[in-house]
Amino acid sequence: MATIRFGSPLPGESWGALDRLQRDMTRAFDRLGTIRDLGRGSPFPPVNLYETAQGYVLTAEIPGVKSGDLDVSVEGERVTIRGERRIDYPSDGSTSLHRRERQTGVFRRTFNLPELADPEKAEAVCRHGILMVRIPKAESIQPRRISVRAC
Amino acid sequence: MSNQNPTREIETREKQEVEREQTRPGIVFRPDVDIVERADEFLVTADLPGVDEPHVDVRLENGLLTIRGELGVEPEPEWQPLYGEYRLGSYYREFALSDRIDVNGIKASMKDGVLELHLPKAERHRPRNIEVRAG
Repeated sequence: MATIRFGSPLPGESWGALDRLQRDMTRAFDRLGTIRDLGRGSPFPPVNLYETAQGYVLTAEIPGVKSGDLDVSVEGERVTIRGERRIDYPSDGSTSLHRRERQTGVFRRTFNLPELADPEKAEAVCRHGILMVRIPKAESIQPRRISVRAC
Repeated sequence: MSNQNPTREIETREKQEVEREQTRPGIVFRPDVDIVERADEFLVTADLPGVDEPHVDVRLENGLLTIRGELGVEPEPEWQPLYGEYRLGSYYREFALSDRIDVNGIKASMKDGVLELHLPKAERHRPRNIEVRAG
């Protein structure tokens, strides 16, 4: 008879799946509402979130990111920004880099809105290095007038 | 970290405030820059997120190149901030230029919140190929 102990790996696929879930959870917690320590690296891009009468506006500083390298998705109350920032300096054979402060690489950030959003009506624009995502609140939670039919 | 994706994930530092006496109100940040030297020029690239072309000012005075940027995109006053990771302000950075630069040939352009400055080397500082003739 097999004894199952706590902490022993489950056979086959499930261990990988659990491990992946664990990692995803850690990642999610790392990125949601992180307190930014001075001098320490913070996730890119930095994001601000605002509430308006109709919904939410999320802005992010993404200078130099092409819209083709950017992917924004809204699902329920969850907003995800993914993309890549590429910086290429074509070499002419005698190119040398004196200073490199601008970072490159891939990024992925997820935010939970306080309320359910309407993904169908979400809009994203990128202007002058600022991404702006407007997400209306879901109609189901917006105040609604209910007409009263004859009793 | 995921193993499937070999590309490095970006991190960013909190925007650095410029430490100098200001005559204008508001916070001033020091933009991140890259400086590349090529055979015939220096290329300075600066991140100025939110700054559009009419709001950037590049000036050269007494061998000092200054970059100033003001925000062209700002949140509307009725938006209520819920959560914040970056602060808003203007940008300032200065560089001492060597006499190797042809100051009349400096060109600047602004795209997607990134300033590109092309500083051509003065003719006498460019590398030259010396033709070798048969003896």
